[in-house]
Amino acid sequence: MGIADDLASKQKQASISEFFEKNKHFLGFDTLQRSLITAIKEGVDNSLDACEEARILPTIRVEVKKVDSKRDIIEIVIVDNGPGIPRDSIEKVFGQLLFGSRFHAIRQSRGQQGIGITGVVMYNQLTTGGTTNVVSKIASESMAVSMDIGLDTKRNKAKKSNESRVLWNEDEDEQASGLKVTARLKAKYQKGRQSVWQYLRMTSIVNPHADITFIDPDGEVSHWPRVTERLPRKVDSIKPHPRGIELGQLRRMLEITKQPSLSSFLRFEFSGVSTRAAKEMCEVAELAESPKIHLHKRKPSGIKKEEIRSLVEVFQGQKGFIKGYRGSKEKHTYVEGAKKPGMPGEKVSDLMHKTIMSELTGKGIDDAIAYVKNHTDFYWEESIQELEEKILSKVGEGPWDENQTDLVSKYMRREWDPRVTFQEVKLLNPPTDCLSPIEEMLIKKGLSKAIDSRFVSTITRSPNVSHGNPFQIEVGLIFGKGMPADSHVEVLRFANRVPLMYQQGGCLLTKAIEEVSWKQYGLEQPGGKGLPKGPAAVLVHLASTNVQFTSEAKEALADNEVVFEEAKKAMQEMGRNLKKHLAKRKKLEKTREKFELINDILPAIAEKSAGILERPIPDLSKSITSIMSAVIAECDTTWNKETKNTDVEIRIFNYTSRSRAYSILAKWPEKEGATLENNEVGGRKEVTGVWTWKLPTLEPGQQYKITYSLGGLEKGDWTETEIFYRGSGDIIGAMEMDEKLVKQIRDQEKAESEPVVNEENETSQEVEHSEPASPPKEKGQMTLTGGDF
Amino acid sequence: MSRVRSNEQTKEHLHKVVAEMYDKMVKGEAPTMTLPVRTKNNITFDSKLGVYKYGKRKSVRDATSLGSAKQLLRALHVVEFIEDMIDSGKSSTLREMYYISEGWGYGKFGSQNDSNNLAEDLEVITKCMREDFKLRPEEDGSRIIGNLTINELNRRGEWMRINARDDVGDSGYGVPYNVESEKLELLEHDIDFIMAIETGGMFDRLIENGFDEDYRCGLVHLKGQPARSTRRIIKRMSEEWDLPVVVFTDADPWSFRIFASIAFGAIKTAHISEYLATPSATYLGVTSDDILAYDLPSDELSKQDIQALESQKSDPRFTDGWWREQIEMMLEIGKKSEQQSLAKYGLDFVTDTYLPEKLGELGLA
Repeated sequence: MGIADDLASKQKQASISEFFEKNKHFLGFDTLQRSLITAIKEGVDNSLDACEEARILPTIRVEVKKVDSKRDIIEIVIVDNGPGIPRDSIEKVFGQLLFGSRFHAIRQSRGQQGIGITGVVMYNQLTTGGTTNVVSKIASESMAVSMDIGLDTKRNKAKKSNESRVLWNEDEDEQASGLKVTARLKAKYQKGRQSVWQYLRMTSIVNPHADITFIDPDGEVSHWPRVTERLPRKVDSIKPHPRGIELGQLRRMLEITKQPSLSSFLRFEFSGVSTRAAKEMCEVAELAESPKIHLHKRKPSGIKKEEIRSLVEVFQGQKGFIKGYRGSKEKHTYVEGAKKPGMPGEKVSDLMHKTIMSELTGKGIDDAIAYVKNHTDFYWEESIQELEEKILSKVGEGPWDENQTDLVSKYMRREWDPRVTFQEVKLLNPPTDCLSPIEEMLIKKGLSKAIDSRFVSTITRSPNVSHGNPFQIEVGLIFGKGMPADSHVEVLRFANRVPLMYQQGGCLLTKAIEEVSWKQYGLEQPGGKGLPKGPAAVLVHLASTNVQFTSEAKEALADNEVVFEEAKKAMQEMGRNLKKHLAKRKKLEKTREKFELINDILPAIAEKSAGILERPIPDLSKSITSIMSAVIAECDTTWNKETKNTDVEIRIFNYTSRSRAYSILAKWPEKEGATLENNEVGGRKEVTGVWTWKLPTLEPGQQYKITYSLGGLEKGDWTETEIFYRGSGDIIGAMEMDEKLVKQIRDQEKAESEPVVNEENETSQEVEHSEPASPPKEKGQMTLTGGDF
Repeated sequence: MSRVRSNEQTKEHLHKVVAEMYDKMVKGEAPTMTLPVRTKNNITFDSKLGVYKYGKRKSVRDATSLGSAKQLLRALHVVEFIEDMIDSGKSSTLREMYYISEGWGYGKFGSQNDSNNLAEDLEVITKCMREDFKLRPEEDGSRIIGNLTINELNRRGEWMRINARDDVGDSGYGVPYNVESEKLELLEHDIDFIMAIETGGMFDRLIENGFDEDYRCGLVHLKGQPARSTRRIIKRMSEEWDLPVVVFTDADPWSFRIFASIAFGAIKTAHISEYLATPSATYLGVTSDDILAYDLPSDELSKQDIQALESQKSDPRFTDGWWREQIEMMLEIGKKSEQQSLAKYGLDFVTDTYLPEKLGELGLA
């Protein structure tokens, strides 16, 4: 919010170009390398946002050409298939600085971070003196419109020139709709970690629904194809939550609101404020010097400065009620500068008595009262007076001897109960459906397309709230060959689907990665702290209605305990998945070896030795049983090109000398909408996402096969099937079923399927602000193995 | 060697190895191969032979892991290969066998070291020699210079008389891989002792300085860890001509090991120590105390050096008091020196001063 306000006010005094010149460091145009990335970022963000709003699957092409290497002049072209901009709005969109709607709406949007496409027009003009060409086609018109956009820096307005109607073809096909922006800038193209290529690659990871092509100055083409047809969920904007409101903002809101009273203002202009809470807030915020009419009935525009300040303190939870004094009924009052309540303890104890004896023996009434005041955060004068009177009448004003002090202590302890608690006005959490996480399966796909590797684990945590702002953390980890094993893992940071490419070290998300002890999960971490090493990349995405950055450069997230804890928890969960994967890989390798041993090597030994000795080839079944002495499960999960199904085959071998009976359980992506097909063995549903088959008894040396197909998935959605068993004796290649967990999941599902009563009951949903709201136990959060599939 | 077995005997011994595997499978168990433990913990001094031999400890390699199973299969391929060679009257080098194993499918060797070790395993189990197996090392033996005369059967089947001083160039007489009497005879000599030298540089220095003639000795270049044929010919010269043998090496733990393989028998070939070891050989230097006494240029002991010395402390071959002292002293000063560090005092120092002094102590100069 800060920038918008700043800019809005500054614009009145200074010319826009002057402002740009002064502030280009935090607008992202400070160095020639970064200017190029920023310009492209603005263009691509615009395209993605526009497509998302119009529900179009984005296809974006970015070209960078060197025009004049000596003077570092580069031409950029950004083409999208979005809705395009109607002719009459083009000037406004490209010429108006920072008046987009996104600066007022509270919702998750890419555009929180940047100056917008106007910045590109301006930078173009400032560095080359030229204009920016815009070609726009909207679906309802047969021809595109082309115009050059410049800025009239004196009047802070866009001016167009060379307007014409053109036919727009892309790859010989007529473009149905879209936008093409061509700008020339003073900029430098570079490769590496902070490059256009890396920005687009990261963008494609978190926008798996986008098809992105990049053509670099040497004509080299990089293409990141679309891996899902699913557009991100349309997000609703929400009203601000009191916890996230600052003084200036509240003042402005009070000025422009149409609500007749303060309490209706609080009730309807904010989220999370119930009728009761609105009234309570007004009561608590009321000042001694407030006008006679109660605050909640007053007109919002008539609220005085001190009262607004007081209201903000209530918003922040600094003002509240004291409750529970001497068991009296709840009583409203407020305390200024509240400290932590509860001193000196829950109950006045013997220890307390000892302290009082040692502190007050030989002292008098003034000391006793001072002592009480010192050790209590909240008290009422009248009750202190009561205590004072009692002591004076029974013991006198002192100085007291030991017996007298003993009596004083008794009265103090009886009359003075420090069990008062401080309470904030209770607010509801803001709604979290304003967030649009990428979601586990799509992150997985996005990562897999950008990095060619084996193991991917992704986790989307449940939404949480910090300072009134809903947020959600998502993490992904990709591990395996194709990445350098001896260097630090690659960190891919994102805020609201926008890649963060600079200031990695100072970012909250990086710190959360560094804080995790990766060694225990199988990654190297010299010194047990810091970024781990190994063939891996870690992705962290923060989706939030209000992303807090360390600086206006908007490249590193500011510290926030709640967000940090969420990110750390997500990392740890992912780490556990990695550990499991590594253990499993080791086990699989061992199993594979055993199979090679009995299928290939042992028969060869039998044949060769029989040949040399000229004796018959011995029967090996007993030797095999004695070598393996285990039950082994093998599982293949393969994509079937023809049927577009994911085929799964599970084989169980009994290589023991006894007969065995098992039930086999397999995970499948039921929640993700998959269907179970061609399941000839039958079986039954265990819980959502887990199927069970009861096998007939396996005699020594026997094997059994289960096959089925998963429909409704795309290629790469489901590449590994986890299997479990129920029965006696280990199965190599499967895990024993955790029955407790199954029961837990079953109970949870049962609870979820029951209609929720008391949805309107506020008290049941009230959450105190200061504690991190415990993550709602949603489905998806609890799985058999922690969310990895 | 004097104990060459007949082809039929060799086959019979090899079949026993195969039968052990076969019988286990018939019994419904995993096939196995039993062989003596080949570590320093399983060599004992054979007082009758005066050398170190393998003790009684056996290890069983069974086919319950992929690695061991592959070893067994390889052994079978090797046995088959040896039988083929015996039947067709051919022989091959170990390296050739390694390449031939390319066609053995699952029985293919991972490295030449694997194939060498397996050949040794079979030698040890069957108590045959690799010559019985028609396998020979591709590593040639060493070089000899000195006034001694040898009769060697050349590849045309003619006996050639070679004097290792007059009939050879500067590189000396090249020792063939087979030095048994059917291939090589020791005819006559006019020397007082044999000196085995670790490095080629020092060997060449002594030749250039005419040391062999001045001190009436035969010089043998060991080329680091000496090949079997080198050790065998040293033993034959020492026994048949009754000549003392002195060993001149660097001063480091690896050189101590070289000496042990000449004098006591090597751990890897302890099954044939009595054919290869020369119990009468003496360690001339460079000794640990020489490093200090001659103030030789030296290097710090590496981690591996220290490890090797520590391990030698528990090696039964180094239990004698003099060796203990040498090892302890080297650990204490923490230094090692090369033979050629004697050049600190000039090129002639080794022949004019150092060796005469050392040989003098032994009564050889």
